[in-house]
Amino acid sequence: MKDEKKYLGVAVPRPRVGFFELSSCEGCQLQLLNNEASLLDFLGLVEIVNFREGMKEAADDYQIAFVEGSVTRADEEERLHKIRRNADLVVALGSCACFGGVNQLKNRFQDQEWVKKEVYGNHPIASQEARPLSAFIKVDLEIYGCPIKKEEVERIVTNLVLGKAVNHPKYPICMECKAKENICLFELGEPCLGPITRAGCDAWCPSNRLGCWGCRGPAPEANIAELKRIVAKRKIPLERLLDRLECFGGFAGEAGKLRLALEAAK
Amino acid sequence: MIFKIIAARELALFFDILAVNKIVGPVKKGSAADGRALYDFDVVYDLAELSLDFDQTIHPAKKYFLPYLEETCSFAIRDKGWEKEVDYGAYRPVVLFGLHACDINALNKLDKVLLAEPYPNRFYAAKRASMFIVGHSCQPTPACFCHAMGTDSVLQGCDLFLTPMGDEYFVEIFSSRAYHILENLNLREPGSKDHKLFQEAVEARKNLFTAEVDTSDLTKILDMEFDSPVWDQWGEKCLSCGTCAQVCPTCYCYGVEEVVAMDMASAGKIRQLYSCNLLDFAEVAGGHNFRPESRGRLKYRYYHKHRGFVEAFEEALCVGCGRCGTNCLADINVPEVIASVRGGEVEDV
Amino acid sequence: MSKGPCLEKCSSGKGRSHGHDDFSHMAEITNVYSLTATEKLYQIQIIDADARRDFYFQPGQFVMLEVPGIGEAPFSISSSPSRRGDIELCIRAAGTMTNFLSRLERGVMIGISGPFGTAFPVADMVGSDVLLLAGGLGIVPLRSPIMAVLENRSRYGRVDIMYGARRPSELLFGYQHAMWRQFDIGLEVIVDEGEEGWQGPVGRITEILQKRLAQGERRKFAKETNAIVCGPPVMFKFVCDMLLQAGLPMEKIFVSLERRMHCGRGKCCRCNIGSTYTCVDGPVFDYWSVLNLKEAI
Repeated sequence: MKDEKKYLGVAVPRPRVGFFELSSCEGCQLQLLNNEASLLDFLGLVEIVNFREGMKEAADDYQIAFVEGSVTRADEEERLHKIRRNADLVVALGSCACFGGVNQLKNRFQDQEWVKKEVYGNHPIASQEARPLSAFIKVDLEIYGCPIKKEEVERIVTNLVLGKAVNHPKYPICMECKAKENICLFELGEPCLGPITRAGCDAWCPSNRLGCWGCRGPAPEANIAELKRIVAKRKIPLERLLDRLECFGGFAGEAGKLRLALEAAK
Repeated sequence: MIFKIIAARELALFFDILAVNKIVGPVKKGSAADGRALYDFDVVYDLAELSLDFDQTIHPAKKYFLPYLEETCSFAIRDKGWEKEVDYGAYRPVVLFGLHACDINALNKLDKVLLAEPYPNRFYAAKRASMFIVGHSCQPTPACFCHAMGTDSVLQGCDLFLTPMGDEYFVEIFSSRAYHILENLNLREPGSKDHKLFQEAVEARKNLFTAEVDTSDLTKILDMEFDSPVWDQWGEKCLSCGTCAQVCPTCYCYGVEEVVAMDMASAGKIRQLYSCNLLDFAEVAGGHNFRPESRGRLKYRYYHKHRGFVEAFEEALCVGCGRCGTNCLADINVPEVIASVRGGEVEDV
Repeated sequence: MSKGPCLEKCSSGKGRSHGHDDFSHMAEITNVYSLTATEKLYQIQIIDADARRDFYFQPGQFVMLEVPGIGEAPFSISSSPSRRGDIELCIRAAGTMTNFLSRLERGVMIGISGPFGTAFPVADMVGSDVLLLAGGLGIVPLRSPIMAVLENRSRYGRVDIMYGARRPSELLFGYQHAMWRQFDIGLEVIVDEGEEGWQGPVGRITEILQKRLAQGERRKFAKETNAIVCGPPVMFKFVCDMLLQAGLPMEKIFVSLERRMHCGRGKCCRCNIGSTYTCVDGPVFDYWSVLNLKEAI
C-alpha cells in the first residue's frame, strides 16, 4: 500500500486525511465506514491519520480535513480554527457542516435561553446558535446531504487525488427523480423541495415516496418563488413548505423571509 | 398495407407468442390525489397486466431506447496504456406493446438524428434493431396535440398497429416479422363493415382533440419573436429542473462523465440524458455560460424543437404527446407557449 | 404454439467488442513541447497503421481527445492535412481534462475520434488572396490552413497573416514565424503590451488590419480576397466589421466558433445554437451563416 500509485503514468498522491466532528450525530462519518466492500479501496486512496470513529491513533499532520457537524459552542469554534491551520484543504462533510443542519432549527427561536431550558432542563450547557463551518473559516469543498452519500464521497476523493475538478450537479433533484421514473409527489398531494434542491442523492427520499426536505441545499439559481406559487396553487399550506425550507438550513434566508410573511399574515 | 381482424381473446395468444421476449407496456402505477389513474411503461408477463386503455404514461418508454444513464464503455488501465470495452447493451430484444402513435412517431424522429451517418449512435441503433413494436390507438386527452404536429397516425415505425373495435381489433400489419407471427393465429379478413367501423373510430377520435397549436410559418415567427417579452414571462416560471426533457419522447440531449475506479485500475464513461433547460447546459470549459438565464434556455428548447429541427428535417421535434406540459409543475406547456409567441399573452395560470 | 419466435436474431448487436468502436482510435503521445507557460504542443500518432493513413482531414476541423476516466474534449487540429493521422494539437491547460493532459508523458495512450466539423475551404480559395487573422488562441485552428496554404504557396495570390496576442511571452509557434516568412507572405505580429526584448509593434490587431486595408484598391481587395478569422468574440466583431466595411462579401469571411461539445457527432445537442450544431454545421461558418445564428458571437 506504500507503493506510489500511478494512473496513465501520472503519479497519484495518497494524502493524509483526518475526520472530525463538531455538533452532529456522526452519521456522515459512519456512512464511510458502512460499506466494507469498498473500504479497503478507499484506504488505498488516502492515509487516514485521525478518525475517532474508526481508530485509536490521532495525528495532527493531515493534509485534508473532513469536518462533520455545525459549530454550537465556543470550544468547537476554537477546534475548527486549529483544524483549518493544520489542513491544506478543509471539507465540510454533510448538511450540518455545510448549512448548520438540523441543529440550526433552534436558531429560529428568539429566546435561546428558553431553548436551552427545554432541551437540557436543569442541566444547562454552554451553547450558542448553530452555524455552518463557513461562518468561521474558509471551506474549500462542501459535500452535501443528511447523511452524505458514501459513493459520492468516494468519487470526490478519487477526483481530488487525480486532480480532477469536483463538480456538483447544478440541476435540481427533479432531474434524478424523473430518471427513476417516480410518480411526482405533488401528484399525490405532497409537498416536495425536489424542484429547488441540488441533485446528487439520486432522489433518495422521493424514490421512497417521501417528499424532499432539501438536505442538500438549494440548486444554484433555484426558483423558490415559483415553488411557492406551485404549493399555493395546490392548496398545500405554506407552513408545510416552510417546515421543509427550515429543516436543514440550506434555505435559511428564504425560510426566514417566508416565516416573517406568514407571521405578518396571521 | 395488409389489414386483418383479430378477436380480443386471440390477442392473449399473440401476447404469449411474443412472451419469450421481454415485453414492455403501459401499466397502472398509482392514482393521483384527484383520483386520476397514473400510468407508466414497465415489464409485464401477462396481457392482463397491461392497461391498453391508458390515456398517457408519465414517461415515454425512453429507458428502453435512450436510457437516462448508460455506461458507454469501460477501460482496463495498464501502465501507460489501456484496453477499451464497448458494450452496446443489446442482448435481448424488447417488445414494446401498446405504444400510441405519438411515441412511435417519436422513434421515427429520433432515427433521423441518431441513426444518421457518418456517426450513428450505435447504442441506440442496437436497441432499435432489436425492438418489436405493437402500436395501439388512443383516446386523446386535453393535453394532446399530436394532430397539430402531424403525428396522430402511424405510417411506419411499428410492426403492427391495433385499433379496438368492440371485442375485436383492427390490425394494420407493417412488417413481415409481425405477419409471420400472426400467421399462427385465427384472423379474418376485414369486410366493408369493418372498414366503416374503423373510419368511424378515426372520426370519433378526431373530435376528441381540444388543444390547438398553430404551426403555420412557426419557424419564421419564432425567429422574429426572438426578443419577445413572453420569453421573460415563461422564463420566470421555469424551474430549470429538466422534467420536460426527461419525459419527452424526442429529447435526446446528453452529457458525458468519465469516472476512475478507486483502485485506479479501471475507468468508465457514463452518458447521462441532459436537458437544455438545466443551468449549465451551455457552459463551456472556461466557465463561460452562453445561456445563464432560464428564459434563454427555455427559448432554445422551443427553437430547437420547432425551428431548428423543422429547418433540418421539415418536421418538428415534437409529437404533441403533451407530457412536458402535464408534468411541468409550473404549467409551462407547448400550446400556450406557442400561442403566446404568436402574439397572444401569457395567461396567468 | 408455445414455441414462439425469439426475436433475438433481429438484434444487430455483436453486443460486446473491443478496439476502435464508437469511431474512436487509440493514439500515442509521441512528443510534447511546452510552447508557453500554459500551452503545450502534442504530437499524436494513431496506433493502427491503416487508420492513421486513412485519417483525412481538412484545415479547421477538430478531433475529440479522450483521456480515459478523465474526460473528452474537442480540439482543433494544428498540423497540416497532408500529415493525416500524425497530428499536432496545441492545447492550453485550462480545465480538468487539459490539466491532466499536460501531466501526461510521452508514450501514454489516449483516445482520438474524428475528424469532425466543417473546414476552412482553402481549396476553393486557390487563385485568390488569403488574409488570415488570429487573436490569442485563435492561432491554433489557423495553423492548419496556414500550413495548407504554404504547402501550395504558388497556387495562391497575396497571403497575409496577422496575429495578435496579449504579451510576447504568450505568442504561439514563434519558432516557426521565420520559416513562414520564407514563403513570400506578409506576417505581422502585434501584442497588447510589450515585454523586455520585444521590438515588434504594440497595439490591437485592428491597427495592422487597418494598414493592410489602406493599401491597394478597395474593389480589387473585395473581389480577390478570402478572409479566415479566429479569436475571442470581441475580436471577431471588430475584425469582421472592418472587413465588411472594406467591401468583403460575407460569404468570403470564414470564422471558427466555440461551444460546449460532448460528442462532436451532432448527437448530444450541447453545442446547439437553435437550428445549428457547432460540431457538425461548424465550427467553421461563413459570416452570412453567423449572422443567422442568434447569440453566436
